Amino acid sequence: MLHEKKKFDTVTKTIQATPHQGSRKDFLREVMKLPGGEKILECIQCGSCAGGCPTRFAMDYSPMQIIKMINLGMKKEVLSSSTIWICSTCYTCSSRCPRDVGFATLMMALKNKAIQENMVKNPINSKFHRYFFEVVNKYGKLHEPSLFLKLLDKTDINGLRSNLGLGLRLLKKGKLEMRAKKIEQTSILSAMLEKTDERGTS
Amino acid sequence: MATLPQKLSIGVFVCHCGGNISDTVDMAQVKNSISSIDSVKVAESFEYVCSNPGQEMIKKAVKEQSLDRVVVASCSPRMHLETFRQAVKSAGMNPYFLEMVNIREQCSWVHDDRAKATNKATALIRAAVQRAQYLEPLTPSKLKVTESVLIIGGGIAGINSALELADKGYQVYLAERNPSIGGHMSQLSKTFPTFDCSACILTPRMVSVAQHPNIKILTNAEPTSIKGSAGNYEVNVRIKPRYVDATKCIACGECTLKCPIKKPSSFEENLLEEKAIYRPFKQAIPNASVIDKDYCLHFTKGVCGICQKLCKSEAINFEQQEEQMELKVGAIIVSTGYNLIDTKLVGQYSFGFHPDIVTNLQFERLMLQGLHRPSNGEMPKKVAFILCVGSRAITADGVAYCCKIGCMTAIKQALLLEKTVPEAEPWIFYTDVRAHGKGYEEFYAKAREHLTVFVRGRAAEVISNGNSLVVKAEDTLLGKHVEESFDLVVLSPALIPSKGAKELSEMLGIDLGPDGFFMEAHHKLRGVETKREGIYIAGAAQGPKDVRETTMESMAAASKVATFLGKGEISVSPEVAYLIPERCNLCGNCIEKCPTKAINKGKNEIVIDPVSCIGCGSCVPICPKEALDLKNTTEKQLIAQIKGIAEGESSTLKIVAFTEKMTAYGSADLGGQSRRSYSPEIRIVRLPSIGRLGIKHILHAFAAGADGIIFVEGDDSVLKEDKLRELVIKFKKELGKFGIQPLRLQSTTTTLPQYEKIFVLFDDFVERIKKMGSLTTEKREEIKKYLENAKNAA
Repeated sequence: MLHEKKKFDTVTKTIQATPHQGSRKDFLREVMKLPGGEKILECIQCGSCAGGCPTRFAMDYSPMQIIKMINLGMKKEVLSSSTIWICSTCYTCSSRCPRDVGFATLMMALKNKAIQENMVKNPINSKFHRYFFEVVNKYGKLHEPSLFLKLLDKTDINGLRSNLGLGLRLLKKGKLEMRAKKIEQTSILSAMLEKTDERGTS
Repeated sequence: MATLPQKLSIGVFVCHCGGNISDTVDMAQVKNSISSIDSVKVAESFEYVCSNPGQEMIKKAVKEQSLDRVVVASCSPRMHLETFRQAVKSAGMNPYFLEMVNIREQCSWVHDDRAKATNKATALIRAAVQRAQYLEPLTPSKLKVTESVLIIGGGIAGINSALELADKGYQVYLAERNPSIGGHMSQLSKTFPTFDCSACILTPRMVSVAQHPNIKILTNAEPTSIKGSAGNYEVNVRIKPRYVDATKCIACGECTLKCPIKKPSSFEENLLEEKAIYRPFKQAIPNASVIDKDYCLHFTKGVCGICQKLCKSEAINFEQQEEQMELKVGAIIVSTGYNLIDTKLVGQYSFGFHPDIVTNLQFERLMLQGLHRPSNGEMPKKVAFILCVGSRAITADGVAYCCKIGCMTAIKQALLLEKTVPEAEPWIFYTDVRAHGKGYEEFYAKAREHLTVFVRGRAAEVISNGNSLVVKAEDTLLGKHVEESFDLVVLSPALIPSKGAKELSEMLGIDLGPDGFFMEAHHKLRGVETKREGIYIAGAAQGPKDVRETTMESMAAASKVATFLGKGEISVSPEVAYLIPERCNLCGNCIEKCPTKAINKGKNEIVIDPVSCIGCGSCVPICPKEALDLKNTTEKQLIAQIKGIAEGESSTLKIVAFTEKMTAYGSADLGGQSRRSYSPEIRIVRLPSIGRLGIKHILHAFAAGADGIIFVEGDDSVLKEDKLRELVIKFKKELGKFGIQPLRLQSTTTTLPQYEKIFVLFDDFVERIKKMGSLTTEKREEIKKYLENAKNAA
């Protein structure tokens, strides 16, 4: 055991000299246990993920930086970043990563963690995901108008006004289904969702 | 079978090592207990047995007391085995009559408890004395060697080795599977970091090879089988027809001019076309045409034959047949080089979808053809060099290791581009610049001085956008996205083992590493040797390498061959497996088991080649008829030693640690050198390999008094980790049948730098055995009875 410990210490000696010394390994080990986090130590910071990410422009940290920050134990910064919410889980990064880091999968897990640990900086991010699943749970599929209504800040007149044009245009083109229809076998879906819930919380 | 002589006189010499041993081990007590053993005639201790007076003491005792065997208890045999063997030899005794006991590195340096250390030292010496009873005289044998060499692969490595050895006077066969020698180096423009013209330094050497009276070049040639042993191999080489008599062809090129069929040129990396009858390249050796059977109309449709009609020297012969050639050689050098990985595997770079996306090897050809864009022939100005394509990847589309030449190649190509095109703008997309060689860092600096753009980030993708190519990447140092248009994109593909390396390794009986390249015998000290005597490796066959390193290795391999063959005869270690013919039933188990193909089936018998045999002993325990044995670790010697080590007072626990003699035993010694203390219950037995052990030996140990058994195998040994695991599982099952808990057996592999690991295992294992307690006397009696019965039955 002593040997193992020594080895780990040598590897991480340089990184340890960060302000997050105390919690560094804890957070890193926690993340390594999450789905997608298994191979996080393989990362060589090549930037393939960041270079190909289609939503990189809107993120506060690039995917590569998030991995580095996890390595440095920057728990607060990682869990309150916009990156984990902006990620559209398109899996481009995961499929191109030469080191097999499951970044996209990990982002989903980090979203959950951010909510659990109450570290979401901008609540709109987590709200979107919550409402999205509420709508899907209810109808068995996505119903855009319901999601819009849930998301809209009804006191924000300017926001409402600016979105009105877009809504009308979508309506005109028949892209918005005004009355929500449920899928046929909602029971099967809810059974499935219950199962995932069980696994998610266990 | 050697029977035990009536009464042997054994001399035991115990070393104080100037306090290194005597401070922890009670010398008087050891001497006392040892001299009470029946056959021990002399028991002496001395301050430094290895010193001149110490050696003189042994010699004197051997002569005056007419000793039959000598046991020296001192430091590790890795330290002084040869010293003491020479000492007894000069006293007229067979050197193999000497037995050494390690009571320093594996006793006094690692234990603090004086009583327990003394106890253990006594047990170790007792075991050695018991083993010494059965020692047999051995002499290394001599074998004449064939003073010729086969070199497989005619690239720069093969060429250098060939010239080196031919100059020393050896007959060299240089076998190349392509129609010309020269290898990848013949395709290169300039070499880094000096800008030497590749052809200018290579082709004169090729000519020297062709003209050398001691070198025979075999092109279109591949070895197909091997027989014999180190010093005297017989290799079959298949020579594919070139359909042109190379001795008649004057390379006038008339045939090529008139040939109607075109095909992609492999020398030009498929960027240009060549004819179905072609010369591989201008400076090809042999400088003769060759017909590609897959394209030539004569072979595909049975028509044409224009070349044959045209050729004034009547060199063309469609009737040429495949030849088999048998070569008798003393040694073999494998210099089969490398291939590039299929760049299409790394899909995001769109290789194959746009002609202006090329590999770095293709870029070399483009420069030699007169730099142009393959799509439109224009001069490229802005060129992206993308590094690590398929390298440093643990995914299925790549390889885990670094290609080692990509960085320098890209820098060289960027600088050459600047020389050729004044307004050129090379961009290098890198992950890490690795400038490890002499002059390489300076070379990197030069590229920066020439304003080459370096972007730290592996390019994410290449997209074609009309006439140009867009590269997307993250500049990881700025944390900014980069999106630039280029005229040409050059990829640096990973280097992979040459095609057919696996088949060749199986045929020759040498190892491949986990990366698929040929495996050297030792990473640091034996870099060009393989585990099989007389077979050497050089250049990129062993791993990615640049020209300079390849050249040095080829010289090293040549030097090794010369050392091996130079004396005209080789000394063969007597510590090899031997057959007891009257017991053998020719089942052939041993043939399969032998890791070096030293065992073969003769006409009506099993033949063991003492030269190829590395004495690992793996064949011995698997023989159902006990018809095999290993010299200097015979069944009798081994069992006597095991009994000696495990017997004795039953109050303490006893754990026998069997260690492989090189790496594993060396690791245990390193623990001693760093004074890593561990429990004195651990007693180490040195073996050629754990493969030498059968269930019988395990049972003997338990019967004699062992409570637990550990196997430590070297990571570089012939018994690989998975095989060791299989063996242990088998033993555990067997132990279960006797009601011995399988947890009393544990195994591990180790490397020298990891030596600490085995002591962690020792500590844990001792704890475990303490909890389990010692084996009952009834159980030991039961096993003894079983072993007795088995012996009688045999």
